[in-house]
Amino acid sequence: MTGRPDSRRPDAPGRPRLATWGIRALAVCAWLVAWQLLAWAVGARIVLVGPLEVLARLGALALTGEFWASVGVSLGRVLAGLLAAVALGTLLAALSSRISAVRELLAPAMGAIKAVPVASFVILVLLWVSSRWLSLVIAFLMALPIVYTNVLEGIRQTDPQLLEMARVFGLRTWDRVRLVYASQVLPYFRAAFSLALGMSWKAGIAAEVIGLPDLTVGEHLYDAKVYLDTPSLFAWTVAIVVVSVCLEALVGRALDWAETRWEARP
Amino acid sequence: MSVGGAGAAAFELRDVEKDFGGIRVLAGASARFAAGRVHVLTGPSGAGKTTLLRLLAGLERPDAGEVVRAEGLRLSMTFQEDRLLDNLTATANVRLPHARLRGRELEAFLAREREALAAAGLPVDSRPVRELSGGQRRRVAILRCVLADADALLFDEPLKGMDEGTVARVMDYVRPLLAGRTTLWVTHDSREVDLLGDVRLWHVEGGRCLPA
Repeated sequence: MTGRPDSRRPDAPGRPRLATWGIRALAVCAWLVAWQLLAWAVGARIVLVGPLEVLARLGALALTGEFWASVGVSLGRVLAGLLAAVALGTLLAALSSRISAVRELLAPAMGAIKAVPVASFVILVLLWVSSRWLSLVIAFLMALPIVYTNVLEGIRQTDPQLLEMARVFGLRTWDRVRLVYASQVLPYFRAAFSLALGMSWKAGIAAEVIGLPDLTVGEHLYDAKVYLDTPSLFAWTVAIVVVSVCLEALVGRALDWAETRWEARP
Repeated sequence: MSVGGAGAAAFELRDVEKDFGGIRVLAGASARFAAGRVHVLTGPSGAGKTTLLRLLAGLERPDAGEVVRAEGLRLSMTFQEDRLLDNLTATANVRLPHARLRGRELEAFLAREREALAAAGLPVDSRPVRELSGGQRRRVAILRCVLADADALLFDEPLKGMDEGTVARVMDYVRPLLAGRTTLWVTHDSREVDLLGDVRLWHVEGGRCLPA
């Protein structure tokens, strides 16, 4: 779950060339065509629907307020859980890097959170909190060990020569954190955030399917299953994937922008 | 040029011994580095010059003997490596020891930094230092050291690998900034002694540090 991420973004200096995008678009088109052909071949809408019908259903759903409200509610709860995990995971990693007793104490807890299946957590959490907060708690639990492990690894991998330099120059603790540690941990933090974002979103939706909180993406997925509404099932699935991809791209760009501004300050 | 001797001491080594992995680097080294003077330490590779600097900076503990520093002494240092923060600009790196500056003080220091970068032949732009060449990074490290608000400056072969023109340019800027500050300058190159002006020479060899 950790490893030294590359601090340089591969596409940072320029965007992939048009040809690369063309090849990617062609590959996607090829799969869509294969999917449509397979749907026609199967000829049973309840088993498999083609992309054209899915697109039509998604378009119809997107015209309803309920669709956007459901996406907003699910996304809001998952993001709240993720941000709480980022804050607590970073704080705990900082404490663990300084106090070995905290590190030892947290190791089994983090290991357990990583090992326990999402479904078990969902059932347990449903016993403890209202289903309204289920996806928030599940997103938090999914993201916490990822953020904690990566940030702790980043702190541990901080160049000791830089810390020595900071000591000689008499840098105060806070300046050491914001100037030395922050720059060294940032690549690990980015990797953790990106990974946690995708996992939290997917796990949060899965939790909603089990807990069925009102007006959520998970509830609509469950309804689609119950009523054997395969086009809606596919349409909601596509919506989940699109939100995930857009979110990751948006967060990536926002972090790029913040990092570039931070690096360029005089 | 005179040998080490009288005057208030900024640093003192008293019978210092230091081993690394069973190899004795310093064996009963004693020296008294007068405050406010430039001290140049020469000696063959592996003689213990860097170890001596690290002991004075408090980065190593002696196995035996004593390292004494004047009370309240503020240090700055260049290391054998650049030790820059790769994703910060040259000015942000030079300003590292002044991390708390704000408002007008910050503006004034920035102006000083830009002047220093130009004097050392460095570009003044918003590039992070990871995009600078090795020689440019070395100069940034030197400027960070001399512009720090320090009483004692420790230089570990700061001009290593620089061409003569760059050395002259850097030293024209650096030399006046050393006046009145305790400076310990480790070098292999005897030409640097001339560039530093009035210095006290020391020779490190055989585990000892003796006036040259």
